[in-house]
Amino acid sequence: MPFDVTILAPHVPFLLKGALLTAEACALALVGSLIIGLLVAALRTSSSPLLSRAAFVYVDLFRNIPFIVQLFFFFYGLPEIGIYVDAFTTGVIALSIAGGAFSSDVIRSGILAIDTGIIEAAEVSGLSKPVIFRKIVMPIALRTSIRPLGSVFINLVLTSSILSTITLNELTGSAKIVASDTFRPFEVYAVLLIAYASLTYLVSLAIGVLHRRLNRDRMPEVA
Amino acid sequence: MRYTSFTPYDFVLLAQGLGVSLALFLATSLIGLVIGTIWAVIRFYRVPVLTPFIAFLAELLKNSPVLVQLFLVFFGLPALLKINVTPVEAAVITLSGNTAAFIYVIAVSAIESIGRDQIESARVFGLSRWQVLHHIIAPQAMAFAVGPLTGLLVNQLQVTSLISVIGVVDLTKIGNILNLRTLKPFIVWTIVGGLYYVTAKLVALGGAMLEKRLRAHTAWKGL
Amino acid sequence: MIRARGVRKSFGSAIVLDGIDLDVESGEVVSILGSSGSGKSTLIRCMNGLEKLDAGSITIDDFDVSRPKDLAEARKRSATVFQLFNLYPHMTAVQNITLAPIQVLKRSRAEAEAAARTLLDSVGLGARADAYPAQLSGGQRQRVGICRALAMNPRYLLLDEITSALDPEMTAEVLNILAQLAKNGTTMVFVTHEIEFARTISSRIVFLDKGQLVVDLPTEEFFAADGGMARPRISQFLSKMRKD
Ligand SMILES: Nc1ncnc2c1ncn2[C@@H]1O[C@H](COP(=O)(O)OP(=O)(O)OP(=O)(O)O)[C@@H](O)[C@H]1O
Ligand SMILES: [Mg+2]
Repeated sequence: MPFDVTILAPHVPFLLKGALLTAEACALALVGSLIIGLLVAALRTSSSPLLSRAAFVYVDLFRNIPFIVQLFFFFYGLPEIGIYVDAFTTGVIALSIAGGAFSSDVIRSGILAIDTGIIEAAEVSGLSKPVIFRKIVMPIALRTSIRPLGSVFINLVLTSSILSTITLNELTGSAKIVASDTFRPFEVYAVLLIAYASLTYLVSLAIGVLHRRLNRDRMPEVA
Repeated sequence: MRYTSFTPYDFVLLAQGLGVSLALFLATSLIGLVIGTIWAVIRFYRVPVLTPFIAFLAELLKNSPVLVQLFLVFFGLPALLKINVTPVEAAVITLSGNTAAFIYVIAVSAIESIGRDQIESARVFGLSRWQVLHHIIAPQAMAFAVGPLTGLLVNQLQVTSLISVIGVVDLTKIGNILNLRTLKPFIVWTIVGGLYYVTAKLVALGGAMLEKRLRAHTAWKGL
Repeated sequence: MIRARGVRKSFGSAIVLDGIDLDVESGEVVSILGSSGSGKSTLIRCMNGLEKLDAGSITIDDFDVSRPKDLAEARKRSATVFQLFNLYPHMTAVQNITLAPIQVLKRSRAEAEAAARTLLDSVGLGARADAYPAQLSGGQRQRVGICRALAMNPRYLLLDEITSALDPEMTAEVLNILAQLAKNGTTMVFVTHEIEFARTISSRIVFLDKGQLVVDLPTEEFFAADGGMARPRISQFLSKMRKD
């Protein structure tokens, strides 16, 4: 059997359906990780030693345990405590929690890099702490962390392939099915590998554009 | 076998799984270190054809899911080349290649951190490219690279958990087996996660100690 | 009025403010002079609640800045302009100015923006209202900083060396605005190294030395003291400042 990708043609629609599921899971998990990341970063930089300690433990745990173990923990564990959710939801939750740990680290350094004078200016003008966080700290930290957050997101996309191990037929899961239907695993997985690499390449390009757009105010105006 | 509770023998199983994970982690890290360094040296010598090829390969490996790489090697290679690939062989090939790609990136940036002018001036003194690499670049690059290397190793330890998917009986696979048998997912995955966590912490600790020693070493030489 | 009584502040073992008593009445412009490290900035930062007092009290219109309940009200009545501008980098000039009026004073956006644009016009920045701080020169940034403070309609303006990061031309831009404000009767506490300017705009001069308020005189008397009275520390300071 020589290498021949054309035999995959009839399976493209099926694979695209899987890719769509991957995209959906990643988009939801991106939102989830950003929310968790912001929250945890806020806790970690808060003045309460207890809260910042708790936030640190969360980040440390989820960064140092393999994602597949976390995924199985939720997938097999949640029904045990009476929470019955489908594989997709479980996957998104697990991705968000793991992604949240990584994002919070990035956002935290963004927060710590903010000039304290800016925060003081906001304080003396009478703004409350929540308003300062929402209107000043968060937007500045997010802007400066676009690139590292982009790397976290790319990792999220790559990690989402692991969701295939909990019966979810996202891109990798669909490819597994096509591989066993066609008996052409090499072609299928080679194409899949290129597909993921291209996808993440596009994502990184988009992040570059976003970074430039969001940080335009830091650059001198073009005359 | 169903609904059976834990037995003392399960600790032996866990230890065995951890041993397999660790052995593969150490072996593939070492192989990856050698290959990745060779790739970086090839780039340093600007070998035509090979240099761009390696750069492309590294990008591909970095930007695609390890799970897909595993499938390509374990299911794809046998189908294409009509050879037999065992799960452990597939794991060694894939993890080594993946680690090599990241080592390559670290090594290249470590070499670049030293700066062209230092290299140029050494060349002016009549040192050969190899002598420059050996006496000037290597020691400095090593000190520069320990930090990123530690981060990489902690990450690669977690990546090893994926080989359970192609049937290697590592720590995660043992977790699967115990999970199915005892139907106590929380306990099983907490123990498995805990073992990974402790191992990751030990790797990080080792890296930090090595970095401290290397730093002390370079500081001493600097005086 | 702003009233400081027995204000003490140390950082570690260093005593930075050592029992300060100071009253600033409505309509006064009080300049605080003193050599570097004498505690001027610290005093301002105690007034706007950025530093906690170790002892003593500061009240702004009888609101005690050390009491969390009063601090919000004290901060509504005062506004600060900073040496390094401290503008919000992700907001345009107008957004910088309107944030607190909208959030704290609960003004409508339209109202706050109209007020902001009027303020910017009055400092000659009408055309730059929608520029981001990074797109403005230092002098322009500090003028936005002043507008941001004025937008809160403060009774007291606290200014800490607001021209020391600017070159002479930009300094003039900013000082002109302050002179205008002084003429309109704005109450100001003004930390500065611009002696001659302090002389023209202040009603009173206080002199800080090693955390103590050693002189508190009407402007004319202060500069008369420079003429050889028994205040060697001031003369020394003033002659040094004039040489720079
Ligand atoms: N947060 C701080 N921690 C420790 N020491 C501080 C702190 N802030 C100020 N100091 C010290 O307090 C002293 C007074 O500082 P302050 O900034 O009030 O002086 P200043 O009169 O404003 O000086 P300058 O004219 O240089 O601005 C200085 O010795 C300074 O080093
Ligand atoms: Mg100062």
